[in-house]
Amino acid sequence: MAKKYGMIHDNNLCIGCQACSVACRSENKIPESVYRLQVWVKQEEYPNGQLGYEYHRQSCVQCENTPCVSVCPTKASHVNEEGIVLVDVDLCVGCLYCVAACPYQARYVHPVTKAPDKCTFCHESRLSRGEEPACVTVCPTDALVFGDLNDPKSKINKVLSEKVTYRQKETLGTNPKMFIVPNHKGGINS
Amino acid sequence: MNQIWGSMEQYNTVVWHWPIAVYLFLAGLSAGAIISAIVIKWMKGNDVSPWDGIIKAGAILAPVTIGAGLLLLITDLTRPLHFWKLLIHYNFGSVMTLGVLALFAYFPVVILFFMGLFKKELFETGSLKFLAPVADFALTYTRLIEGITLVLAVGVGAYTGFLLSAMNSYPLFNTPVLPALFLVSGISAGISANLIVGLLFFNSSTKDSNVSYLHGLDVKVIFVELFFLFILFVGMMYQGGSAEHVAKMALSTGGLSSLLWVGVIGLGLVLPIGLNFALPQGVKHSHGFVIFNSLIVLVGVMSLRYYILYAGQIFVG
Repeated sequence: MAKKYGMIHDNNLCIGCQACSVACRSENKIPESVYRLQVWVKQEEYPNGQLGYEYHRQSCVQCENTPCVSVCPTKASHVNEEGIVLVDVDLCVGCLYCVAACPYQARYVHPVTKAPDKCTFCHESRLSRGEEPACVTVCPTDALVFGDLNDPKSKINKVLSEKVTYRQKETLGTNPKMFIVPNHKGGINS
Repeated sequence: MNQIWGSMEQYNTVVWHWPIAVYLFLAGLSAGAIISAIVIKWMKGNDVSPWDGIIKAGAILAPVTIGAGLLLLITDLTRPLHFWKLLIHYNFGSVMTLGVLALFAYFPVVILFFMGLFKKELFETGSLKFLAPVADFALTYTRLIEGITLVLAVGVGAYTGFLLSAMNSYPLFNTPVLPALFLVSGISAGISANLIVGLLFFNSSTKDSNVSYLHGLDVKVIFVELFFLFILFVGMMYQGGSAEHVAKMALSTGGLSSLLWVGVIGLGLVLPIGLNFALPQGVKHSHGFVIFNSLIVLVGVMSLRYYILYAGQIFVG
């Protein structure tokens, strides 16, 4: 069976250290001022008065029903056989329909190619060498879990079976393959 | 939310800028101009040469405005030199591809319509004489070409709305009524542009009865437009959640909401309706008033495209 890659971001383990963001930039040679990945922090005050932090991984959520691919007029935006959403720069005319249609603001215009670019799960670099994405490898708290959703024995399916997860903007029907373990201390903000 | 580290500039939700608004305006105007020209041409007494000035106006405006709009659209691409890839790579699930295909057919038929209409002036003598057979073809199949043009024009006018409504990332775009609103306001813009060009440049051949008919039609179309705009916002209010929030923001926030109330609704819709009822017949049918009325309608339709494009992208819930 073909692989179907997905990822989990555990809000309880994440400490907002930015190692993932830095690793992504250096591994994928991301130009200055644009980002495939950022980690945002939101200060929360829980009902009992305690303070806490919510972390948000801002990157492509690798939808199964992909708005960006549906709107692309030239099929430059496409999903590969491993379920990863990619951009074929050669086919791209730069209409930015995909950038606008993405409900997760995952895409930016690459300053050199002028085509939209985004998280690829390190498909073109580390994944092709049999390694995990750079962000997952460097995460000091193992807040990121990566793996094949079609393999029942994969680490990601083990975690998905044991922990409560949700996905962003599920009502849109995009079916993201980026799962979030919500903060156990507070409510779920999807 | 705080980004901790790095620039947030790329997360601006405004992706498409004013050239897209102008394109949406021009595409709608082009469709409206050819639709109203054909409607006039199919009326008794107008279906033979010499052609009415309004028909001539539509024949010129339709290809010129869509051409200008497409040129603007291509130069607005981030990779404009690759634009030709749109013509050979298709995704039939994409509204943009469907638009490209509709325009592929629409552009030639509006040019054929133009050539048939101006055969005597342009193609019977002079340097363009070699195109006479094409103009003859246009005249031979005139009814068929006009029928096809009418269908394609409706397609082009509505597609500009579907282009935006296909995106569920923006609640104000993602509404079923947007294509109908854009089609109707495009027709209104086309009627107005035809009246202006017909009265200013083909005054001697423009019949007053046709001017009155189109002007009267425009007032009815404006009523429909006003109703569709009402449906758009009321529908969003009833949806609740982020759609309701976005509708409230878009109706009340900043310069954009002023543009809606003053430019789109006040100047473009309410004033033309009000003047039509308030002014005496003599003034209402004077060429000066019709031109003035048409100008404010055009400003209103352009304001609507600009408002929807920006408000839709800025207020995302």
